[in-house]
Amino acid sequence: MSGATQRQRRYAQLGILLGPVSLFLAIFFLCPLAIMMIYSVLTPGLYGGAEWAFYPDNFGRILGFANPEFEVFDPVYLSIFLRSLRIALTTVAITLVVCYPAAFQVSRLPDRWKTFALFLITLPFFASLIVRLFVWVLILKKTGFANMVLQSLGIISEPADLIYTEGAIILGMVYIFIPFMFLPVYASVEKLDWSLVRASQDLGANGFQTFWRVIFPLTLPGVIGGSIIVFIPALGNFIVPAVLGGAKVMMLGNLIEQQFLSARNWPFGAALAMLVMAAVLFILFFYIRLEGRRGDDAPALR
Amino acid sequence: MRWLRNIGTGTLSAYTALFFAFIYLPIALIVIYSFNADPVNMMRWSGFTFDWYKQIFGLRNVTSENALYIESTEQLLKAVRNSLTVAAFTTTIATVLGTATALALYRFNFLGKKFYRVLLFAPMLMPDIVLGIALLIFFISVGFSLGITTIVIGQCSFLTSYVFIVVSARLAGMDRTLENASADLGANDWVTFRRIILPQAMPGVIGGALLAFIISMDDLVITYFISGVDTQTLPIFIFGMLRRGIKPEINAIAVMMLLFSFAVASAGLYLRSRRG
Repeated sequence: MSGATQRQRRYAQLGILLGPVSLFLAIFFLCPLAIMMIYSVLTPGLYGGAEWAFYPDNFGRILGFANPEFEVFDPVYLSIFLRSLRIALTTVAITLVVCYPAAFQVSRLPDRWKTFALFLITLPFFASLIVRLFVWVLILKKTGFANMVLQSLGIISEPADLIYTEGAIILGMVYIFIPFMFLPVYASVEKLDWSLVRASQDLGANGFQTFWRVIFPLTLPGVIGGSIIVFIPALGNFIVPAVLGGAKVMMLGNLIEQQFLSARNWPFGAALAMLVMAAVLFILFFYIRLEGRRGDDAPALR
Repeated sequence: MRWLRNIGTGTLSAYTALFFAFIYLPIALIVIYSFNADPVNMMRWSGFTFDWYKQIFGLRNVTSENALYIESTEQLLKAVRNSLTVAAFTTTIATVLGTATALALYRFNFLGKKFYRVLLFAPMLMPDIVLGIALLIFFISVGFSLGITTIVIGQCSFLTSYVFIVVSARLAGMDRTLENASADLGANDWVTFRRIILPQAMPGVIGGALLAFIISMDDLVITYFISGVDTQTLPIFIFGMLRRGIKPEINAIAVMMLLFSFAVASAGLYLRSRRG
């Protein structure tokens, strides 16, 4: 068999394997993203859709450089963006604080229990998201479980407003994102070289110094990976605020949904989505640079 | 100093117990209250009943409240059917595409390999809402009518990545010497593929397919944007119920969904642990 035909055959095999997926992702992934990008700088149509004319004021309306003839800059959009950032970052911080000690504890369990504990933590990830959020509606609503317990204990006399608050959104997000944070953190903790910890203690470091100078830096890859994996879906989330925030606490996700399904201002909605995407790309870019500089592989994102 | 350390580990164990309680108590709560007889306040316990389960399986006609109940049972069944149809198609397509890509990147070295890796990671890292509205704009601008087909396409655009990653992980741990041996013994590419690579990759393929199936059944955000007005999947049905006001049978539906996903996930994890 000559080399040329063999090479041809390899190309044919490669074409068969990669052709369909290339076509599929080009049409149904890259193309939609490109169209969305174009939409974000088009003139909003009168009845939804868009007109083919360049129009930077969609972004201006959010960020404050709108041409007042067409769009008014309303700080409410910026404040929704900042609130979404705040909620997402708080969620990241709380899941981290909750998962970090638990990861240490699980890593020290005997093997059989360890497998079981990991199974228990992974399992909710597979359970329906909407069901897991619905549980919190039952707990937090005015006649819900939490108010019932608090009232019967005599801590409060009137039902408190627990649902439809920023706190409720954060609680719901923490609940659904715990597995996302736990697994990367656990992967780092499991790899931790305890001889370094002992060395640090032998050299006279106190508990805090050992933690801050040895343990924490060594588990940092998992911490960063987990934080990114939680932050990305938290920032643009619209299910959690829709279920637990109601109409009172709006996040970017709800605002985008509104532009598409009720306000019918698609270009504005596309511009908002571009903002979410930009924030995500920004963070991923820094993550990749950081990982590249450290020179080891990105354990959490695999 | 020892007693101090004991207190330390004690608190840590207590903390871990709390951690698991936080994850599972809410789920336990919904299971318990799905047997609550009280039709008005779902959280006030007023007796044990199977009524809500009977109702969602259509074994009990509700005449007391209003006729809407029966209609919603029908809608529920339709939503379940839609979800299963979508999941069947997406799982098949995403598994074929994802496996083919993983195989290509495993077997061949070619220009643009890195590009494909990034391309397949991108849909997973893309926030759901961005992908959802991008697909919505796309389908509307090219004139697709929204429905089952668009849901299947939309879900495949990111589920392919999940299958790709699971299968790639499996392939990366494979023994390359077997392939070389097979080629040395005169097997052609196809035979090597059929008899050596595919059987070894199979647990990964099955794992990827199960993952795709579960995520497809559960996907809410992307499906929500591209399902159109007439087609409801199960998560969208429940999301709608939550927005309209909740009725007691939703607990029973929720419990059935939890049971279903736990069963599929346990089967998948069990298979993985057994075949290593």
